[in-house]
Amino acid sequence: MVRTFFSRIAAMFRGRNLDASLDEEVRAHIDMATEEHILRGVPKDEARRLALREFGGVTQVRETYRVQRGLPLLEQVRRDVRFGVLQLWKSPGFTLTAILTLALGVGANTTIFSMINGLLLRPLPVPESGRLVVLGINFGGPKPGFSFPEPLFRGLERRQSAFNTVFAFDRSPFQVKSGASTEVIFGQYVSGTFFDALQTPPLLGRTLTVGDDRKGGDPSGFATVIGETLWTNRFHRDPAIIGQKMTVDNVVFTIAGVMPRSFFGADPLQRPQIFLPLAVEEVLNGERSMTRAGVHGWWLNVMGRLAPGANLEQANSEVSAATNAILGAAPDARWVARQKERHFHFLAQSGSTGFTYIRLNFRKPLIALFVMCGGILLLACLNLASLLLARGTARQRELATRMALGASRRRLIQQLLVEGLLLGAAGTAAGLALSPVVSRLLAAVLLGGRPGTYLDTSIDVRVFAFAAAAAVLATLLFALAPAIKATSRRLVDRMKDGQHATLTHERSAILPRILLGAEVGLALMLVVGAGLVSTSLLRLYNSGEGFDPRGVENISFSMDKAGLKGDALIAFYREMAARLSHQPAVTGVSYAHQVPLTGNEWDEDFTDESGVSHDIYMNSVAPAYFSSMRIPLLAGRDFTWNDTPATSPKIILNQSAVRQLFPNGNALGRSLRQKEGDKFAVFEVVGVVGDTKYSDLRSAAPAAAYVAMPQDDGSHSPSFTAFVRTSLPSGPLAGAVRAITAQMAPQIPAPEVTSMLTIIDDSLGAERMMTMLAVFFAICALVVTAIGLYGTLAYATARRTAEIGIRMALGAQRSQVAAMIFGHNLWVVMGGTLIGLAAALLATRALAGFLFLTSARDPWVIAASIAALAFTSCAASLLPALRAARIEPMTAIRCE
Amino acid sequence: MGENKPDILQGTLDLMVLKTLESMGPLHGYGIARRIEQVSGQTLIINQGTIYPALLRLEQRGWIKAEWGTSEANRRARFYSLTRIGRSRIAEETRNWERISATMALFLAAPK
Repeated sequence: MVRTFFSRIAAMFRGRNLDASLDEEVRAHIDMATEEHILRGVPKDEARRLALREFGGVTQVRETYRVQRGLPLLEQVRRDVRFGVLQLWKSPGFTLTAILTLALGVGANTTIFSMINGLLLRPLPVPESGRLVVLGINFGGPKPGFSFPEPLFRGLERRQSAFNTVFAFDRSPFQVKSGASTEVIFGQYVSGTFFDALQTPPLLGRTLTVGDDRKGGDPSGFATVIGETLWTNRFHRDPAIIGQKMTVDNVVFTIAGVMPRSFFGADPLQRPQIFLPLAVEEVLNGERSMTRAGVHGWWLNVMGRLAPGANLEQANSEVSAATNAILGAAPDARWVARQKERHFHFLAQSGSTGFTYIRLNFRKPLIALFVMCGGILLLACLNLASLLLARGTARQRELATRMALGASRRRLIQQLLVEGLLLGAAGTAAGLALSPVVSRLLAAVLLGGRPGTYLDTSIDVRVFAFAAAAAVLATLLFALAPAIKATSRRLVDRMKDGQHATLTHERSAILPRILLGAEVGLALMLVVGAGLVSTSLLRLYNSGEGFDPRGVENISFSMDKAGLKGDALIAFYREMAARLSHQPAVTGVSYAHQVPLTGNEWDEDFTDESGVSHDIYMNSVAPAYFSSMRIPLLAGRDFTWNDTPATSPKIILNQSAVRQLFPNGNALGRSLRQKEGDKFAVFEVVGVVGDTKYSDLRSAAPAAAYVAMPQDDGSHSPSFTAFVRTSLPSGPLAGAVRAITAQMAPQIPAPEVTSMLTIIDDSLGAERMMTMLAVFFAICALVVTAIGLYGTLAYATARRTAEIGIRMALGAQRSQVAAMIFGHNLWVVMGGTLIGLAAALLATRALAGFLFLTSARDPWVIAASIAALAFTSCAASLLPALRAARIEPMTAIRCE
Repeated sequence: MGENKPDILQGTLDLMVLKTLESMGPLHGYGIARRIEQVSGQTLIINQGTIYPALLRLEQRGWIKAEWGTSEANRRARFYSLTRIGRSRIAEETRNWERISATMALFLAAPK
């Protein structure tokens, strides 16, 4: 059986070849017969005639042979496919809509899920990732923190019984010397047991061990492990790389091993190419070392691998119980006392997917988007169903005719199934083709402003299969409906009916109305959702930064490794500022330590005149910062380059800080004290400026103080960011900056130029991604619904042509006819809107967490959404109504 | 053409072909047709062409196989021969046929 089947299939493809083969065989047969007759003495002509006669009909034999050879079912399918393509080709509008609808439903779901998968779900590609645990800190607030100071990590690292190992890592850009220039490569500081815990063997050499994670490193010096990409790009896969030297941040390292490309540590969004022992951080960063900052430097991500037999709960209660002992060992007793008051304790949670900060921001938006995607898929299926139903009603006469001409029911159903499958396959393929493009785009928005990050959005086969199956099933089901309908009724009656007699049951058909109503309701929900998130984003953008970001370009200088300090450093910045201000169209240049709205924070405790301590956000700025940023100077004066360390420390406060520190009067000339060790530093308030948003746009402007950059001893970092106000695009400026830097300080990496607006956009990555997609989905929902309403009504109206003709012949006005057709959809839209509204009011509550200054039941947004939906629906229903009103009664009746 | 030639049961022709190949070894289509005519003593006159669909059917079942070769008269022809499966099927097909013919004989011999 099987063999017969295969030889038949093979024959289908070799058909022509086999025909020739049979012909040759038949020719040989007849030649042989002729020769035998000649041998027996028959004349030549007669012999051939005899041979042909004995053979029988050559054509008949060929036909029988072909039937035996070919596969009837497959040939039928081939014919069905050809016919189906032709049918779909004849109604390109319908076909295109159906394919696009499917592509949208399948594509959106696959895309969003592939992002969720990449960010939240995919386990780390290391052995037994299920045994990994992420450690965090509960500060007594609603959200735990996930960064640790080095002393607390070392405490955890030493005390472990539920864990095999506890390890820490932190990402960092490294300056790697290559020849005369310096290149920035992203890498990680890792603790000694990092590689041990992740259990991935190196490609070459060895991994880092506890022996490397010590002050001074191995006896042979500091060791590093590099990634395969770096090994390929920089060392051309030189197998003799082990033992070679590499200079990172001016320190010489010995390359001990190479990790395979598939290994990226425990943060799924990073692809570190250099791994350095954690203990080296102090050597590389010197004064501004996070290790040296002790319990005040929060920077390490800490994870662990469970010991055999231990489970997550045990680990959690163990680290929680160990909190006080570890805290107690920390050097700063006052700080420790304060933490204990806050019910500070460690916690452990599942870490099979590793840890990344971005997850904390994007988990909820992505899940909300995925729910919207589900809505889009449902909408796509509903739309397809109603279109196919309408088309099916229009086709019933064709199907009935074909049945009357002898087509079997099975054949008709088979043919419609093939047509549905064609649509489904084309739509799914289009969705699959679109998905990677869209996810790459979204990943760019999501990761905006985070250099060195990478999101793996490879498509998840299961989700694609699910979405495709749902869409194709819907297509098949509703493509099949007309066949079942057409073949189940008494055929002859239908043939006799013509157009008008079918109307009674058609008009009362409830299924298409329910489908359309559901579509309208779903569309309204999506539009309301999109309206809310975009209103919220607009309000965020318009909430006012307190400065004018338009036309400000930020240039970040990495001076950490340049070796400049004190006056020399300030002189460098003054010279750079002078040169930048001579660039065309530059109207202001200044510097600041903190770039606003990047999420970075720097705060200090100040004591007011009555001795109360206040937590104030800080920045260190150069002269002209306020004018360059267009922050109003409300009283006093700006800093000058003459505010040097030789003069008394000056400070500028914003209005909120003044209100907080000097509630009853003028702040100018008054003083603020800051505790530094045992003595106090005293600052004189020289100016008051307007409030500005600090670390992000969502929170109100906090109390903030500015110290003078020339007086700042660079204890934080010698790296400042220039703020340049210009009326030109950033391109030429970036070129000029690179040239000036190469001239003035060739040892530092080329500075990066980012516009302030880009920084704001990046800081709103989650909101922007959500809004973009929600608006896109809403527009799609409106379009799809409009097409559904239009398509169904147009089909229905076309079938009522004769009836309308009669009505008009009997005296119906054109406006009445138009109103009648229009009214057909009106009830569907109104019903759908009501249901959609009720559902939206329930569902948008889930959005409340994402909204800024916007209520989840914002009446304006809801009213506007209903208006948008009503407008689209009316436009879609008006066209068929107008067409119906133009029907000429005589032509219409004669048609029948 | 062929007006006097009776339809024969499909299985009959198949079995004839198999038996022919069993006794004669590899043979081309014309040879098989001639052999069937000879053995049946000219009582069974078939359209020689009908042998080809039968040959294809047997080939598809895997009972015989075909190869292009050269005939005695140095002519290119397709030679058919039994496969191992075909050889083993002959006995069973023969039994089947005997059962049918016995049944037919019973029917024909039944008193009117």
